[in-house]
Amino acid sequence: MIVRRLTLHDFRIHHSTEMEFSPKLNFIVGGNGQGKTSLIEAIYFLCTTKNYKGAPDTDLLRFGQPGYTVHGVFEDATENNVHIRFLADENRRIYIKDGKTVHRAADIIGAFPVVLLTPEDHALTQGAPADRRKFIDSVISQYSSVYLDNILEYAKVLKQRTFLLNRIKENPGRSLTAELDAFTEKMILTGSAVIRQRDEFLQEFKSFVEEVYQEIMREEESPSMHYQFLEGAAPESDISALFRQKIYARRDDEIRRGMNLTGPHRDDIDFGINGKSLKSFGSQGQHKTFQVALRFAQFFYLKQRSGKTPVFLLDDVFGELDAHRAGHISRYLRQVGQAIITMTDLSNYAYLREMNESRMFTVSAGTVTPA
Amino acid sequence: MIEEFSKFPGIGKKSAQRLAMYLFRSKDQDFQKFVDAVVALKRDLHSCQICYNITEKAICSICGSEKRDKSVICVVEEASDILHIERANEFRGVYHVLGGVLMPLKGIYKEELRIQELLERVKTGNVLEVILALNPDTEGDTTSLMLMKELERFPLKVTRLARGIPIGGDLEFSDDATIGRAMAGRITVK
Ligand SMILES: [Zn+2]
Repeated sequence: MIVRRLTLHDFRIHHSTEMEFSPKLNFIVGGNGQGKTSLIEAIYFLCTTKNYKGAPDTDLLRFGQPGYTVHGVFEDATENNVHIRFLADENRRIYIKDGKTVHRAADIIGAFPVVLLTPEDHALTQGAPADRRKFIDSVISQYSSVYLDNILEYAKVLKQRTFLLNRIKENPGRSLTAELDAFTEKMILTGSAVIRQRDEFLQEFKSFVEEVYQEIMREEESPSMHYQFLEGAAPESDISALFRQKIYARRDDEIRRGMNLTGPHRDDIDFGINGKSLKSFGSQGQHKTFQVALRFAQFFYLKQRSGKTPVFLLDDVFGELDAHRAGHISRYLRQVGQAIITMTDLSNYAYLREMNESRMFTVSAGTVTPA
Repeated sequence: MIEEFSKFPGIGKKSAQRLAMYLFRSKDQDFQKFVDAVVALKRDLHSCQICYNITEKAICSICGSEKRDKSVICVVEEASDILHIERANEFRGVYHVLGGVLMPLKGIYKEELRIQELLERVKTGNVLEVILALNPDTEGDTTSLMLMKELERFPLKVTRLARGIPIGGDLEFSDDATIGRAMAGRITVK
């Protein structure tokens, strides 16, 4: 699948921007604050209904305008149109897919798989456990709507249960044991399904990361990953039984602290290089390589699972790679599908211009010009 | 008036303004009809003494009917759910309106629901089966889990509606055929 056209109205710094993309490589060159990242933001937005920077709609809206429109044309065996409109005075977003209003974000998520590589990806290996959970959640959600439903449901259970725990803490007089038991059982049911799906995903994903290390990164090093769930449970455990045992054992503690202390909302992944923990012993270069490898593995994994080739978005990451590696990655991307790559400066990568079927754009003050 | 309309489910500020404006502009006799209907709603309607369905009499037409099987109780969240299940024409038992589902965030716990009343019915009557037909969402599922536990000590069958009602879907938005299939293919959980 490729993104053929992108149209923006009053989105970020763009007043009115229209772009036709090459099915292979697209380079967007511009200085900071000129509006190149918002193009990546817009494509990611169309594919996922999410702003990856977590920006509110009012920030996405060009100053003083009544609303914004983001429109994308995706090409597969068929052509699909996606519009996202924001109306400021009603403070609401409208999604339209192929002329029909879509009410559930889940009806768009996964239809157009996308992989995004940004400088913020340092959080994948160097950030908090929540950053790694966000990564696996976003990958699995793109091919499994069941998983997406499960994590949304699990989040709701956590919210109600947190409130309930605090209520019990503050009113020890009123017995709410039956209620807490019920929410605990619901949490075990939904949470165990989340853990099983994460485990299954990571088992398969592991070999994709290993392959990327050899084929693309051409590294001698060998990567590894271990899923950490339910306070260090063995992979072959009976998940529901273990979850039940752990959560009931910590009940007093949970009430005392008013917090959900056991479950997949505390999961983590332990990455390693040559058998050593990346987090404890990895060099800056090893971290960077691992982060890029995770994104490439995500690309190939989604391609296999969904049967569609994802669009690859690389926002301002070439600056962190040496020219040799950037060139190698570009040539590789060209073979596998469509990529949209932003950079501040072309001088180090002038040779990229010579690649077949690649297209070059410059962005300045929200105006895009084919170069 | 606009403020009062805004409290209605699914009515936003704009719709509330339109409704108020419509009433303001309506003919005197139409307006009076509306006022009478509103007054009658509270005066004539109340909850059935057995199942808490909405009725004009002390006991609703379902509980009062000899044709309905009193040994099968279908538990629903709200009285409006009864209408949806009745439309499907599949169920011949009686109902029990719980009056909501567990929602700690909104202050709804076990005591706020008609669970004790359900247990009383189960204790005294010759109930053979309880069907849990709560909406298949987070709170509905959790409430079903609690009811399953509460009903554990009684010698009866407990079933839940079969899947088919989409996850996150409501009885209210499911078509008759879907509700019918879910009812026919219900799953025994105890
Ligand atoms: Zn009744």
